[in-house]
Amino acid sequence: MPPEPGGAVPRSAERATADRIYFTLAAVIGGLVSIYFLVVPVLDLNIAFHFYLMLWITMASAFNVAAGFSGYMPFGFVAFYGVGSFTTAILVKSLGFPVLVALPFSGAAGVVLGLLFAPTLRLSGIYFAIVSLALAGICRLVISNMPQEITGGSFGLQLGSRAEPVHSFYVMMGVMLMALGVILWLSRSRLGKALRAVRDDAEAADMMGVNVTRVRLYGWLIAAFFPAVCGGVEAWYTNVVDTETAFNTLTTAKTVIYAVAGGLGTVTGPIVGSVVMVWLDELIWRRFPLLNLLILGVATVLLVLFLPRGIVGTLLRWRPEWRRYIP
Amino acid sequence: MDTLVLNGIVNGLIVGGIYALIGMSLTLLYGVLRVVNFAHGEFVIGGSFLAYALFSNLGIAPLFALPVAAVSFFALGWGAYFLLLPRLQKSDDPEIMSFLMMYGVSLALAAVMLLIFEADSRSIDYSFQPIAMKIGPIYVSTARIVAFGITIVLAAALTWFLFRTLPGKALRAAIMNREAIQIIGVDVVKLSAFAFALASAIAGVTGVLVALVFPAFNPFSGAEYSIIGFIVVVLGGLGNPLGALLAGILYGLSEQLATVFLPQAMAPIVGFGILVAVILIRPAGLLGWRAQR
Amino acid sequence: MSAAIEVHGLVKRFGGLTALDGIELEARPAEVLGIIGVNGAGKTTLMNCVCGIYRADEGRVLIGGRDTTGLTPHEIAHRGVGRTFQIPRVFRKMSLIDNLLVPVLDRREAGPALIERAEAMLEQMRLIELRHNFAEELSGGQQKLLEMARMLMPDPAVVMLDEPFAGVHPTLCRFMIERIEAMAADGKTVLLISHDLTSIYRLSRRVAALNEGRVIAMGGVDEIRGNPAVVEAYLGN
Repeated sequence: MPPEPGGAVPRSAERATADRIYFTLAAVIGGLVSIYFLVVPVLDLNIAFHFYLMLWITMASAFNVAAGFSGYMPFGFVAFYGVGSFTTAILVKSLGFPVLVALPFSGAAGVVLGLLFAPTLRLSGIYFAIVSLALAGICRLVISNMPQEITGGSFGLQLGSRAEPVHSFYVMMGVMLMALGVILWLSRSRLGKALRAVRDDAEAADMMGVNVTRVRLYGWLIAAFFPAVCGGVEAWYTNVVDTETAFNTLTTAKTVIYAVAGGLGTVTGPIVGSVVMVWLDELIWRRFPLLNLLILGVATVLLVLFLPRGIVGTLLRWRPEWRRYIP
Repeated sequence: MDTLVLNGIVNGLIVGGIYALIGMSLTLLYGVLRVVNFAHGEFVIGGSFLAYALFSNLGIAPLFALPVAAVSFFALGWGAYFLLLPRLQKSDDPEIMSFLMMYGVSLALAAVMLLIFEADSRSIDYSFQPIAMKIGPIYVSTARIVAFGITIVLAAALTWFLFRTLPGKALRAAIMNREAIQIIGVDVVKLSAFAFALASAIAGVTGVLVALVFPAFNPFSGAEYSIIGFIVVVLGGLGNPLGALLAGILYGLSEQLATVFLPQAMAPIVGFGILVAVILIRPAGLLGWRAQR
Repeated sequence: MSAAIEVHGLVKRFGGLTALDGIELEARPAEVLGIIGVNGAGKTTLMNCVCGIYRADEGRVLIGGRDTTGLTPHEIAHRGVGRTFQIPRVFRKMSLIDNLLVPVLDRREAGPALIERAEAMLEQMRLIELRHNFAEELSGGQQKLLEMARMLMPDPAVVMLDEPFAGVHPTLCRFMIERIEAMAADGKTVLLISHDLTSIYRLSRRVAALNEGRVIAMGGVDEIRGNPAVVEAYLGN
């Protein structure tokens, strides 16, 4: 290979090294995460804590696809989660589906809802956020007003005779790893680049040959799929669903805050953000149970004021060269 | 005319007036500062709780709570501006960042009210004499009539302020073009702080009126009022106070009339539905401008 | 790839304002057509109509003989039309390389091959050292070069440059002129909007002068220079 002008290392070799570091880091993180969560039930560590940690990692990562990669802030994100919860609950309880069969249907339900909401994708930042909130409100009201036999009214639905924490725990782990895998792929793929171009300047992307509408839709549907499946798995884990908890606005709030805390636009950001914030939340919950909400609110304000790019985002701002190596 | 419908209309106007005030203050805030105040509902409920606290602890009638709310919330708003907002203006996406930050503020405020007042619904046990008055074929509680009267005065005063006084005109100019007014020499920082303080004061006062008009409230009611605020603001056009006034009344009317024809639980759907429809069909609202990305 | 561009009777109105009032022009492969006119004459509107951001109210645009009127911007881009913008519209939070890859994301070529092409392009534009930086970290002039590189990646037949020299350092201008000459030499059809009459006259084979939404004169450089209508439009009223 002829030497590149002015460079000691040929660019292609340098690129290969950077890629190698990137994927090694991704594999290491993925491996650590997998092994850690794998042994939680075995070592009898706090299953509930870790289950929800995995849930939040998945939710924050999916939100990252909508917000970090595509540039949308769906403040009604919980709608997908709620729809997924109820889909699994109804299929299992009323139609006798095995849970593992119901879960993909939950994912599909999320995608269908995403398609229904697709017309809102042409709206700009604040309008989109507000409409998303309103649409989630409509979902919640529609489901709570459905006949009691289907959705359980104010009592909710119970899936089965008892909960299965360990099985649902491992399924949640599977879902989380799948989500992380998809996002890793997305961040390097052509669709990912197209999404980011549309995020930065949709009109310019259009003129550069990107089918903006289609690209936005794909990103959106990916973001809609995972929270729906999460809802389904959580329904299995707790063995009960009701509209209050399934469509709780706090779910969106935490998702957004955890994702922003880590840093939007990177794969590791939502993981870091979720780990830090869930751990913090647990700490506060143990010592000052009444201050939970207050701490969450104050933490959000402090985050926006002092760490608006999140932990990973700020790190990458400080050392931009590392962007190529950190997933 | 059917008494129920007449009731719906009268209540719609009264409730609409409150919504108009919430919308006007929220739209002012957005217009001048480009801040989407997710915590506006909590400001309002804060005013309600202030009236409640003054009444139950000091026996102060709600009417006297009005000036207390106005002054204290103005001061709080002024302070809050300097504490929270300057850093925000420098960020990449001030609108979304402000949305997030005010979301945090709303959580924090709701939490504080929860800690002080607990989750139970509260109401102010204050009765005017007579308790209700007859308007045509229907009875309306005096408290609501008084509140409506105050609402009209406030809305008129605010409109007069915005269109006839120099600081008011400065605010409207700021809404139209932030950069330009700086060039003219207006102290944008003071003006912004003033806008925030004014909006907070109006919200607080509206909260006192809420306590008079609505049967009960709790720390989580704030979220509902924030949403209503957004609906009204979007309907009326972002940054347009007159639009918000009109939209608030219209929305109040449609909400109250909807409860005549729909079950109570479904009523919020009408509001959400209107919001979604307006944003998708005519995002500029009744009187506003651009919203597509 | 090479193709001619033809514009017939293009009309575009914005409410009560008629920005384009029946534009007629054409440009051929391997030629630079300069487009001049005072502010508000309709130059950028013309470009926006051609690339699909605006829908023309009347008239047609043909690229390589095929009608592109009414197509979406990305469809027109695929017909071989590229452009730059008066104020650079780079993808701010993407690296320079990624910026260049966006127009060719749907090509069958393998990733590494595309990246190599992008790097070669960046090298030509003297931006190679900054290839991993985010586009927002570039200076204004560098962003204009980045836009040019991005535009050339899909090897468009027709390229439209909107005020490439505006606010750019003279040395960089000279470099840009070289690049534009190379584009024409490559067989591309180049539409060049500029207020920099010296550069326009140097680069263009023909020039179209626009005023109030119409082409008031079109011809060789010397023709236009001396054309009284053109002089009046620029200096008069």
